Amino acid sequence: MIKKELILQNPLRFIGDETEDILPEGGFGAVLARAGVGKTSLLVQLALNTLLRSKYVLHISLDDPVNKISLWYKEVFRHLTKPYDAKKINKLWEDLLPHRFIMTFKVEGFSVPKLEERLTDLKEQNIFSPQMVLIDGFHFNETARTSLSDLKRLAKNHRLHIWFAVKTHRHEKSGPDGIPAPLLDVSDLFDMVIQLQPEGKKIHVITLKGKPGGSDRPALFLDPATMLLKDNS
Amino acid sequence: MKNAINKVRNIGISAHIDSGKTTLTERILYFTKRIHAIHDVKGKDGVGATMDSMELEKERGITIASAATYCEWLGHEINIIDTPGHIDFTIEVERSLRVLDGAILVLCAVGGVQSQSITVDQQMKRYKVPCIAFVNKCDRSGANPFRVIDQLKEKLGHNAVVMQIPIGLEADLEGVVDLISMKAVYFSGANGEDVRMEDIPQDLLGEAIQRREELMDAASMFSDELTEAILEEQEVTEQIIISAVRRGTLTRQLTPVFMGSAYKNKGVQPLLDAVTKLLPCPSDVENEALDMDNDETPVTLTSELDKPLVALAFKLEEGRYGQLTYIRVYQGSLSKGDTIVNARNWKKIKVGRVVRMHADQMEDIETIPAGYIGALFGIDCASGDTFVGPGINLTMTSMFVPDPVISLAIVPKDNTSQINMSKALNRFSKEDPTFRTYVDDETKETVIEGMGELHLEVYVERMHREYTAEVTTGQPRVAYRETITRKAEFNYTHKKQTGGAGQYGRVAGYMEPVNGTEFVFENKIVGGNIPTQFIASCEKGFRQSIVKGPKMEFPVTGIKVVINDGASHSVDSSEMAFMAAARGAFREGYFRAGPVIHEPVMKVAVETPSEFQGAVMGLLNQRRGIIVGSQDEGPLCVVEARVPLAEMFGFSTVLRSSTQGKAQFTMELGSYKQVPESISEELAKKAEKEKKGK
Repeated sequence: MIKKELILQNPLRFIGDETEDILPEGGFGAVLARAGVGKTSLLVQLALNTLLRSKYVLHISLDDPVNKISLWYKEVFRHLTKPYDAKKINKLWEDLLPHRFIMTFKVEGFSVPKLEERLTDLKEQNIFSPQMVLIDGFHFNETARTSLSDLKRLAKNHRLHIWFAVKTHRHEKSGPDGIPAPLLDVSDLFDMVIQLQPEGKKIHVITLKGKPGGSDRPALFLDPATMLLKDNS
Repeated sequence: MKNAINKVRNIGISAHIDSGKTTLTERILYFTKRIHAIHDVKGKDGVGATMDSMELEKERGITIASAATYCEWLGHEINIIDTPGHIDFTIEVERSLRVLDGAILVLCAVGGVQSQSITVDQQMKRYKVPCIAFVNKCDRSGANPFRVIDQLKEKLGHNAVVMQIPIGLEADLEGVVDLISMKAVYFSGANGEDVRMEDIPQDLLGEAIQRREELMDAASMFSDELTEAILEEQEVTEQIIISAVRRGTLTRQLTPVFMGSAYKNKGVQPLLDAVTKLLPCPSDVENEALDMDNDETPVTLTSELDKPLVALAFKLEEGRYGQLTYIRVYQGSLSKGDTIVNARNWKKIKVGRVVRMHADQMEDIETIPAGYIGALFGIDCASGDTFVGPGINLTMTSMFVPDPVISLAIVPKDNTSQINMSKALNRFSKEDPTFRTYVDDETKETVIEGMGELHLEVYVERMHREYTAEVTTGQPRVAYRETITRKAEFNYTHKKQTGGAGQYGRVAGYMEPVNGTEFVFENKIVGGNIPTQFIASCEKGFRQSIVKGPKMEFPVTGIKVVINDGASHSVDSSEMAFMAAARGAFREGYFRAGPVIHEPVMKVAVETPSEFQGAVMGLLNQRRGIIVGSQDEGPLCVVEARVPLAEMFGFSTVLRSSTQGKAQFTMELGSYKQVPESISEELAKKAEKEKKGK
C-alpha cells in the first residue's frame, strides 16, 4: 500500500510521462544544474522510484564515497515517507536495499571497459543485475563522446538505461535550443534532458528535451528544503 | 625533559613482519646511546631485542604489544612507539597509530611491498600519519631497492621520491649516496658508529645527478622558492630542498625513501637525521577531542602548556611493580602530585610517579608536557581512557562501547591454568572495553564475549602465551535475540494447593513491541486488583522471563509489558506467587505475540586489490551478504557489505586463500535484523538437539 502511494509520487509522472519507464533500453537521460541545486537529489528520487517497483539500480559516483551516497538515499527516502508509520517504513527500506548497488570510482580511474568488466562480473556471479544506472560526476569534456558511445553500447547490451547528473557553470553559454554547454556536442545521444533552474527561493524543473511538459501542465518545482518535487497543481 | 615542542618526534615504525623493524629499532636505540650492546631479534644470547618485551614476541621474532621508548638524536627527543606488524592485532595497532605524529614505513629490499605492508600502509592512511620509507635489508642477496620503490608507487600509490642511492648492493653494500648533500656516506667501526662523508664514487656520479634532479622535480611541487631557484638557475641550498620535501611529507603527498641495512648497521644514522628533519613535531599535527557536554562535537586541541590537561592512556602494561599506564599528553601538562580526572567515570586521581619508558626500563621524570609520551604508575584505568584537568569534559575516544556480538566458552585444563586464566581475563577486560567475561549459571563455564571471532582468538592465544593458561574453547556462539512482532494479551492465574500454604495470583494485561529500548513495564492497575506491594514482584517475574526467551532461550528485547487487571487472595497471595504468575503470563502472551529471532548483522568492509574484487563480492554474496557498494581507490578497492555475523565464521581464512593473502577486512556491528524463516528453523532444530544432549 505504502509502496503504491510512493510510486504514484514518481517525479517523472509529474514531468509528463504516463508510462513507467520514460527511457528505452540503451536510452540516456540527463539532469543538469549548477552545483548544489539538486541534481543528485532528483536522481535519487528517480532511483528510489525504480527500486520501489522492485527493479535494480546501480548508482555510480565519481565524486563521493559510498557512505555519502548511501546517506543521500536515506535522507530522500526519509523525506518521502515522513507521513507513514516508522516501523513499516523501516521494513520497506530493508526490502529496497538489496536492489541498490553503489559503485564509486576516482574520476581518473573510471573507464567504460572497467565498468563493463565489473558489471559482467556481478551478473555472472548472480550478485546484481541492474535495469537502471545513474552516473554522477561524469566529465563532459572533449573526449566524452567516445566514452558516451561506448556507454550507449553497454547500456543496449545489458538492457538498461542510464541517467547522468551534469554540472553546469554560470559562465558557460547554452546552445540555440537551450541545451547547456556540457551537452552541446553530445545532445543527440540523449533521449531526455532536464534542467534545474533556481528562481528566487524555488527551483524550477524544466524539460529541455524528451517528453514535452505541454502547455496545460503546471510548472514543476523542487522544494529547496527537502529537494523533493512539489506538485503545484 | 626539555620543553621545545618543535624538537619532539612521536614516531612509529610500521612494517610487515619479517622486514626487520625490531632490528632497526634496536639499532636506533644503540646509535642514540640508549642501549650499549646490540642483541638480535632471534638472538643466541637469549636476551632478545630491547623493544620486544613480551615472551611471545621474543619467541616468534614479532612484535605484538606496542611498547613506547624514548631516545635523543641531534637535540631532538624521539619517542618510538613500536607498532604491531600483524594485521590481527587491530586494537593495538589503531591505538598506537592514534598517538603517533609520523612513521617510518620499513620495507624489505628483497620481499618488497607485501600484503601486510599494504595493510599497515592503509592503516596509516586512515589515520593520516605522514611517513618516510626505509628500504631495509639491502645487504641480502636479491636486494633491489628500486624495484621496491616502484612497488611503493604502483601498489601503495605513494609519490615515492628517492633520497639516497646505495653504494654497492647485496654483500657489497658499503653505504649510501645522500642526494641532498651529494656526498657518499660510509659507516665504519665495529658497529657502524663512525659515519664518514666522502666524495661520490665516479661510477655512481651520473646516476646520483639524475636521481637528484628527479628529487628536485618532485620537491619543487611543494615550494615556490625551490621552483624559482631551479628556474633562475640559482644555487639551491640544502635547507630549501629539505623544507620542500618536509612540506610534501607532512601532507602525505610525498614519501621520501631512504635505504640501508639495519642488521649491517648501514644507513640508520641518516634515517634518524631524516626523522628529525622531515617528520612532524606534535604541533604540526592537529588533534581532536570530543566535547561530551556538547553531543561529542569535535574540538581541536592545542599543545599550549597553560591550557587544561587532555591526555590519553593508550596502553596498559602489567609490570613487576604494578600497572604501568602509557600516556600521551595532547594539551596542558601532567606533573607529579597533580589531581586529574578520568573522563570515563569522573574518578579523581592523584598522580604519583611519572616515568619515561625505555622498553622494559624506566626513568623517573617530573612532568609530561603536551606532545610528549610518558607513563604513570599505579593508576587504575582502562586502555583508551582520557584524563583531563578539573573543569573540562573532553574525551579522546568516543564513549560508545558496542555490546559484544559473539561468545565463546573456555575451560581451563588444570588448576594453575584456572588461576592464570582469571588473571588474564581481569587484565584483558580492563584493556579492552569490548571484551567481556562472565560465568554461565547453568553450565558453570567461563564465557568470553567480544566483537568477532578473530577478536576472541587473539585473546585466547594471549592467555596461553602471556599467562601460560591452557584453555580449551567451545564453538563460538552468536548473540541472537528474541523479540515480538505484534500486540498480544495475557490473563494468567497461578494457583497451587498442595498442602501447606497455597499460592495464588492472577495477572492480566498485554505486551507489545517497542523500539529503541530493551524492556518497558507499565502498571495500569486500578482499584487494587493486584495489591500495590505485589506490583514489584510482577515486574520482577517479567524481568526474569526476558533473560531467556521462551522461544529459543535467547534474551528478549524490544518489549513493553502492561498489566491492567489481576486478582489476589488474602492468605495465599505472596511475592513468590505473583512472580510465578507474571512468568506464566509472559509465556502465555509471548507465543501469541509473533515471536521472532534477531541476529547481529555486521558492517563489513573488505579492502582488496582491484583484481580480486569479483572474488570478494562472490564470497560475501555466498554468506547471505547484501553488498552496499564498492569503492575504487586506485590499486585497491573497498567492498562494503552487510553480512550476518553467523556467516562470518572462518571468513578471514577463506578471504586470505582467495586473494593470496592480499585482502583484509574490518567488521563492526551494524544492527540487529530478523533471521529468515529457514535459518530460524535450523536454529530451532539445533537448540532442540542441544537440549537432548544435555
